[in-house]
Amino acid sequence: MNRGQQEYYKRDYAQAKLEGKPFFPYAVYKDLLIATLAIAAVIGMSIWHRVEIGEPVNPASTDFVPRPEWYFFFLFELLKIFEGQNALMPVIMATFIVPNILMVLLIATPFIDRGPERRIEKRPFALFTGIAVIAFLGYMTHLGAGSHGGVGTDGLPLTGLDEKGQAGAELFVANQCTACHNVAGVGAPGPGPDLTNLGSQGQTPEHWAEFIKAPPGGVMPAFTTFTPQQYDEIGTFLAGLGTQYK
Amino acid sequence: MATTDIGPKNPAVKAGEAAFDYVDKRTGVKTGAKWFMFRNIPAETSWFQTLGFTAMALFGMQAITGIILAMYYKPDPNSAYQSIEVITNEVTWGWLVRGMHKWGASAMIVVVFLHLGRVFFFGSYKYPRELTWVTGAILLIMTMFMGLTGYLLVWDQKAYWATVVAVNITASAPIVGPYVADILRAGPEFGPETLSRFYSIHMLVIPGGMATFIGLHLFLISKLGIAEPPYSKRRMAVERAEEEARRAAENERLPYGRREVPAVAPATPEPQKVEGAS
Ligand code: HEC
Ligand code: HEM
Repeated sequence: MNRGQQEYYKRDYAQAKLEGKPFFPYAVYKDLLIATLAIAAVIGMSIWHRVEIGEPVNPASTDFVPRPEWYFFFLFELLKIFEGQNALMPVIMATFIVPNILMVLLIATPFIDRGPERRIEKRPFALFTGIAVIAFLGYMTHLGAGSHGGVGTDGLPLTGLDEKGQAGAELFVANQCTACHNVAGVGAPGPGPDLTNLGSQGQTPEHWAEFIKAPPGGVMPAFTTFTPQQYDEIGTFLAGLGTQYK
Repeated sequence: MATTDIGPKNPAVKAGEAAFDYVDKRTGVKTGAKWFMFRNIPAETSWFQTLGFTAMALFGMQAITGIILAMYYKPDPNSAYQSIEVITNEVTWGWLVRGMHKWGASAMIVVVFLHLGRVFFFGSYKYPRELTWVTGAILLIMTMFMGLTGYLLVWDQKAYWATVVAVNITASAPIVGPYVADILRAGPEFGPETLSRFYSIHMLVIPGGMATFIGLHLFLISKLGIAEPPYSKRRMAVERAEEEARRAAENERLPYGRREVPAVAPATPEPQKVEGAS
């Protein structure tokens, strides 16, 4: 808005106030009514849906789903989109660049859109942007809400798990491998190495099955009681980490 | 009925009035409150314009339920989980207070987003309310951080690991990321100090910031006045009148003019729309 438009707005608004009504009670009653309804809804929800408490924290075990509150689902989904992409689209896009651009755009909105028009149907760009943002956030939140499996049904934040990989991941969690290994940010950081990108070593499933039967180093316990099928599953899972399952 | 004679000469009323006047003379609160409550606002305000107040009411509710929870909660990794269990299962009404705090957090996010949407679609962030928007945007960000820091306090598996992931994400940010993550974790690893740090951020740092910014937000709103909805009857009438005046001016000029009709020639003093300058 230029100086003249600002003056025009001020004069117009002063007129609106002159012809207006007092804040109390004409706005106050509406405010109080809606706020009371909102608080009543909150109380209703807390009676209807009692709060729960999950398993106590155990940094060594990870049979959980690391799910944030629903209003961060869109960020988690964003993470999944960029995870394992090429170097042009690194994870930092989702963790840093996109959220910060959104934040800056949010704060800067009034300095970007400085036109005098306030009616939404005469602001096609604002209308389009508004609807696009709502659709984007809504869709991402919806995706996040539905994707129990996406974050790994067994608690490992992995995607691309096929049947064998899923079975292997469950074995991995059930046998407390996470007590010593980290996979994709889940599990203890040591003493075992991070296995997130194990697959990039290019070893076969059989190699890893043999490895866990008799780990050479002496720190890692030998796992000798699996069935052949289970060895196959966990071997496949390990061999695909970071390449197929990421 | 006859016995309750509370007239202007009633000494209790007199004393009360004197006390009010005493305070008002020194602080101006009475005058200020009168101004605030009875100042004029545009005649038509939309129901959507109640959402900001609703967000504020929910913030107040979060503060009250939060204070009650803090009376029972122990920000120590060995007893946090247990104290939440006690609140949920043993403390009288504890489940309700905790439930209200938890649902209230979600409700507040929803209401703040709806409020943002109404301000956006009403174009209420335009001159002169740009800074009101900026304070509001910061409030939104702080509200989200309240959710993030509060989530960990329950100290159950889901919350713990989600927070680990969130802090790892923070650590991956360039340059300042690792430092911020260290500050959040109170060290390079998640440890006992982490919980009390999140507790103090959730209980003191962000609420203090929010109270400050709600104050600024409200100051600006009452100073500038609440915006008139863009479709109010009064505004539409003005618009129609301006349009008519424009057409009238056009008609008047046509017989004389072989020159072009000026685009804007309002009878009401509408300023010329000059491109570029702003
Ligand atoms: C007590 C801790 C511990 C447990 C439990 C453990 N590991 Fe290990 N793991 C280690 C250590 C330490 C190493 C490093 C090499 C060694 O000692 O052999 C290792 C190495 C590995 C390697 C080789 C990594 C590489 O880059 O060469 C794989 C694969 C592996 N572990 C898989 C597993 C699986 C699968 C499980 C669960 C069934 C498991 N580990 C359980 C400690 C552990
Ligand atoms: C904790 C969060 C917030 C609280 C408590 C709050 C409170 C309020 C209140 C009470 C009003 C008065 C009018 C109304 O109710 O609509 C208001 C107006 C306003 N809010 Fe907020 N608000 C919050 C967040 C936001 C956000 C996220 C934005 C936008 C980014 C924002 C921008 C504005 C603007 C521009 C106005 C002036 C609108 C007008 O004059 O019509 N607020 N706010």
